[in-house]
Amino acid sequence: MTAPATHESLPQRSRLSLPAFIDGSLLTLVAGAVILWFAPVGMGRYGTYVLSLWLVMSVAVMGLNLTLGYAGLKSLAQAAFMGLGAYATAILTTKYGVSWYAAFALSGLLTFAVGLVLGFPALRVKAHYLAFVTLAFSTLIWLIMRNEQWLTGGVFGIANINRPEFFGIKLFGALEFHRFVVVVTFILAVLLWWMIRSPWGRAFTALRENPIRAASLGVDTRTYTLLAFAIGSAYAGFAGALYAPLVEFIDPSPFSLSQSFFLLLMVVAGGSGYLLGPFIGALLGVVLPEWLRFAGSLYLIIFATIVMLLLIACPQGVSGLLERGWAKVSGKAGARS
Amino acid sequence: MKSHWIIAAALSAGLTGQALAQDKVKLVDVVELSGAGATAGTNWKNGIDLAVADINAKGGILGKQIEIVHYDTQTNPGNTRAAVQRAIDEGTYAVLGPVFSGPIGASMQIAQRAEIAQLVGGEAAGLTMQGNKYLFRTSLSQTAAMPKIAAYLKNTVKAASVAVVWVNNDFGKGGRDAILPELEKAGIKVAVDVATEQGQADFAADAIKIKNANADAIFVYLNEEESARFLRAAKQQGITKPMVGETTLLGAKVIELAGDAANGVKGHVGLSIDAPIPAFQEFGKKFQAKYNYASDHNGLKGYMAVYMVKWATEKQKKFDKKGVADTLRGATIKPSEEPGILIETTIEQNGDLDRESFLAEVINGKQVISATLPKLKP
Repeated sequence: MTAPATHESLPQRSRLSLPAFIDGSLLTLVAGAVILWFAPVGMGRYGTYVLSLWLVMSVAVMGLNLTLGYAGLKSLAQAAFMGLGAYATAILTTKYGVSWYAAFALSGLLTFAVGLVLGFPALRVKAHYLAFVTLAFSTLIWLIMRNEQWLTGGVFGIANINRPEFFGIKLFGALEFHRFVVVVTFILAVLLWWMIRSPWGRAFTALRENPIRAASLGVDTRTYTLLAFAIGSAYAGFAGALYAPLVEFIDPSPFSLSQSFFLLLMVVAGGSGYLLGPFIGALLGVVLPEWLRFAGSLYLIIFATIVMLLLIACPQGVSGLLERGWAKVSGKAGARS
Repeated sequence: MKSHWIIAAALSAGLTGQALAQDKVKLVDVVELSGAGATAGTNWKNGIDLAVADINAKGGILGKQIEIVHYDTQTNPGNTRAAVQRAIDEGTYAVLGPVFSGPIGASMQIAQRAEIAQLVGGEAAGLTMQGNKYLFRTSLSQTAAMPKIAAYLKNTVKAASVAVVWVNNDFGKGGRDAILPELEKAGIKVAVDVATEQGQADFAADAIKIKNANADAIFVYLNEEESARFLRAAKQQGITKPMVGETTLLGAKVIELAGDAANGVKGHVGLSIDAPIPAFQEFGKKFQAKYNYASDHNGLKGYMAVYMVKWATEKQKKFDKKGVADTLRGATIKPSEEPGILIETTIEQNGDLDRESFLAEVINGKQVISATLPKLKP
């Protein structure tokens, strides 16, 4: 993942992604959105809810994928950023009557700004040390969520968070809200797809592969490191803003440090640095345990075993495995999307 | 010809399956089996399993065997909501659990919308204040227990100042928020207010802080394991002031873990396998025999939850999901009608419970009940 770029690999990447405006990733996103729009029909509220939860977690994982998978910054604060977004949305909509759309935007802005501030240490420290800085931040946010009861409801959380309306259509039903989540996730995923293909995305990847070389090529490493962190955090904020009305209740537990680790696992298991990796990772993290519930009390043990075996078999995650498979079938050398 | 046999076999298998399904009533328990609430949740689950085994051995509810399914919430609101939704989609007759108030808060609207009774183990005061007619407690709420403790501190312990130590989760914070106004009403000064962490191992610093506050008594409101650790730390620091608490300070598990350090501890007990009620003690023995450890109050709560559902169903003489909630609201269940309820229990309109409770003290490693307190509204 952090291997230095070779002379061959960079031109090859640009050759693969340049020819057309539309590529396989975008087509998959469009097809996925269409399928997910209709998927819950006849599925029941439970299935619909799990699909929505999967998409919401995918948004948070997309952000972390940008920070870690593209820019190579190891962050352990993604769940904390998601918490910031969720609490901002919950507080603004329930206590101050702000519309969900404004709260969504403000949650994104807030997490972007905080991500920017937290990104500064990222300029000074690398790898494990950066992880420690974000770990401290994660604990700090969790303590604020739990202890500042006047604002956050403390351990009792915030209940009765309303779901938004869409041009007069109420989204209280599981199916209506699911479709809303599909649309928002699709927009956010396409934005990220565009960003990855833009010069920004190239700069992020260059940062991950070889920061010194990137700097020597004129990439402003300071700005791009900060941007990667801030945009990744903003995606967590957006995910939080969707999570609060989806569950209609929040307390500090889904935003603890262990959840940040879990999000990290989703990035790695899905395939870090692949655009569609977060969806696969979140599918593993959210849908697989639900599906394994038939196994009763053993379900978490089976889940952990599957994840471990998966990572032993394909350290690059499921996306890496698919890519290798595709390369074998088509007889081409694999390249990251 | 062969195909006819196959069709006949398939049909009969289908019919048998259907007949089996008709002979069963499905109950789904959604509870904390992993994450922060796992200890409480496992006790609750075991209590339920014990009740289901008992009821099924005696012929079930109205002739139907109970099919119990447990879903883990991971102590996470999002997962709890999924599990409760799944339980309702699968046609559960009633929802049992969860125990922690966060997961309860995330799932109670779903059971309410589906008009299905949800019997929870949560004790936090706010749960029954939201006008949800389908939510029922299985224990006294903290608002019911704390006035009794404040009166005990004032009249029996004769304390003018109290040090309060609590665990910073929904259980501890809820108890602390409920006791402070009661102490103020009783004219008792809070000398020091100490928050501790769930799962905390070392209580030496907290014990020193409390010792230095030099209060007349110490109110301890921690979960069982933490209570035991605190008692040991307090003994090491030479704290001799009376320690007063609730069910979680005087339980069998605390006495087992704290050893000598538990002697002299006193307080108010709601549900306890040591209470001077033969049915409670009988439950304690059965639980110990089946699971090889002593049940805490959550085991008792889970056990009684199943019997509350059974009683309501037999009372209405049919399986009517909405009817369970309607029958439970405002009802008084007596052990003479339903021995599994263990103690006479009144369910108020908002889902709170009213029961007798006890004042107890730990003497020579045994919980000794010194007085029985009547129901709030006898």
